[in-house]
Amino acid sequence: MSGVFFYARKDAENNKRMFIFITIAIALSTANIIILNGVMDGITDDFLDRTMETTSGHLNIYPNEKDRYIEGLGIKEQKLQGIEGVIAYSPRITAGGALSYKEKSRSVNIFALDPSKENRVTVLLSKIDSGETLKANDRDGILISYRLAEELNAKAGDETTIVFEKGNTRVFKVRGILRTGMAMDTNTVIINFETAAEQLNLNNKASIILIRLSDKALSGQYKDIVSGKLGMQKVKEWKEEVESMWSTIRTYKEIIATINAIGLFAAAVSVGVILYINIIHKQRQIGIMKAIGMKDFQILSVYIIEAAVLGTIGILMGDALGYMGIKYLQAHPFSDPTLGSIAPRLYSYLFYDASLVTMLIVILAAVYPALMAGRMNIIKAIWGN
Amino acid sequence: MEIIKTSDLTKNYTLGKVDVKALNGVDSSIEEGEFIAIMGPSGCGKSTFLNMIGMLDTPSSGEIYIDGRDVTEMNSSAMAEYRLKHIGFIFQFFNLFNELTAIENVMFPMMLNKQPNYKERAKELLDLVGLGDRLHHLPSELSGGQQQRVTIARSLANSPKILLADEPTGNLDTRSSVEIIELFRKLNLEQGQTIVMVTHSMEIGEKADRIIHFRDGKVMEG
Repeated sequence: MSGVFFYARKDAENNKRMFIFITIAIALSTANIIILNGVMDGITDDFLDRTMETTSGHLNIYPNEKDRYIEGLGIKEQKLQGIEGVIAYSPRITAGGALSYKEKSRSVNIFALDPSKENRVTVLLSKIDSGETLKANDRDGILISYRLAEELNAKAGDETTIVFEKGNTRVFKVRGILRTGMAMDTNTVIINFETAAEQLNLNNKASIILIRLSDKALSGQYKDIVSGKLGMQKVKEWKEEVESMWSTIRTYKEIIATINAIGLFAAAVSVGVILYINIIHKQRQIGIMKAIGMKDFQILSVYIIEAAVLGTIGILMGDALGYMGIKYLQAHPFSDPTLGSIAPRLYSYLFYDASLVTMLIVILAAVYPALMAGRMNIIKAIWGN
Repeated sequence: MEIIKTSDLTKNYTLGKVDVKALNGVDSSIEEGEFIAIMGPSGCGKSTFLNMIGMLDTPSSGEIYIDGRDVTEMNSSAMAEYRLKHIGFIFQFFNLFNELTAIENVMFPMMLNKQPNYKERAKELLDLVGLGDRLHHLPSELSGGQQQRVTIARSLANSPKILLADEPTGNLDTRSSVEIIELFRKLNLEQGQTIVMVTHSMEIGEKADRIIHFRDGKVMEG
């Protein structure tokens, strides 16, 4: 194969224009894959992280079938304290209601929680856009989501009224405006657990208990332990909680994959067309190669090797461009009114996958022109008839 | 000893709607070490004949024996292997690889043939054709005569038994043409190479040991 490698190297060296066009097409395609997937990973990871840190524990306990609430909350809390590996828990009550401010009124989702417990499980109460957060034992305070605040023109310090499901009415003082980057920003209010239990007449009950473990990877192992010790049938791992989001994420990933495929196709066409034109221009030389004794597969190999060499250089350039692109976007993230900033993630798999797929496509793109060169008729190639 | 023999060789092809008989039952025999000129008017089939015995093209019917072996039975890979090892080609338009220097052009067939010391041998061959001082020149930096000499050196790379030359002087001035023919004669005498050369020029043809005349796809005399 030394003769084949020798000629492939010489041919590539002497076709600098072809070399540059092909490597640029490959480099851009590779960088495109890395950056787009990096951004997509940034969005999905942020989304999942935010979901995890605001709305889910490592394990979540739900009421048993046919029950609306978890009964015997006090005993369950005591049992949770006794389980090694459970480092915190936070019971919540969720209910519907209506929030009124001046003449305006909106239906809302009420989250009732104990700030001292919630802060050990999630960071929900730290997601304050303005004002201050809800403090432990603050039974008169309320946090309202920022979209709700915009609709009602309410701000920190204002007094609002909640009408609970049971018809009870209570006045709350807005302590702060909540912005989580999640769907709950639309119409959520957060109040103290005890106050909600009182208004809804839910003594010793909760809608959900969020549990934080020493390591979220242990959720599978602890699911059965918690379920058994508390006598609760419906204990979900954090993975199950975010599962419903995966269909949305998968759709977005498919869109990105389509964009990547179009980019790759464009690169493949460029590689194929440039090689094809090069081969057409070199018909006579290919004919001479065959005349002096080069076999069909050796000629095919020349162009496949050339494509592989140019592919390797283009991919290395693309990896470097992709790395720089991700670093730049991490320093200058996109801003989104709902999600906040969107920055790509830098994972090594992005480089492996992009490099492998691009190389495969480049080789495939080179196969047709290379086959054409290998199968060229000697007489037609040399004399053109 | 007979090195090339053809028997009832025909080659038919279609040009537009017209059937052309490029070779029409050619019987020929060439002895090892002979220097043969093939002559005839344009379109008489002499280049087609050269392509057939050089295994660049396949006949419509008939047999071709090279060194006692029926080469029409070979597949394309075996033909390529045979060309690499046993046949050297020289074409009218030099047909060097433009991206390779003179020495690289000569080295290339030896590299394909996995010959050791190909660099030294390439130097020797370029010395033999009088281009020892042009080793690293690209074809574009050489004159027509010099390019044709590089082609000859390349054709000798794997020490073939047969040299096939299609109008080797057709694109050269008189002085270069004489030099090339003298070089052929030297190779023929000193290295025992069998040389089959197609030419239009009677002056060039007369330098050969024997002339085979073609007309209308047939051997007339020789």
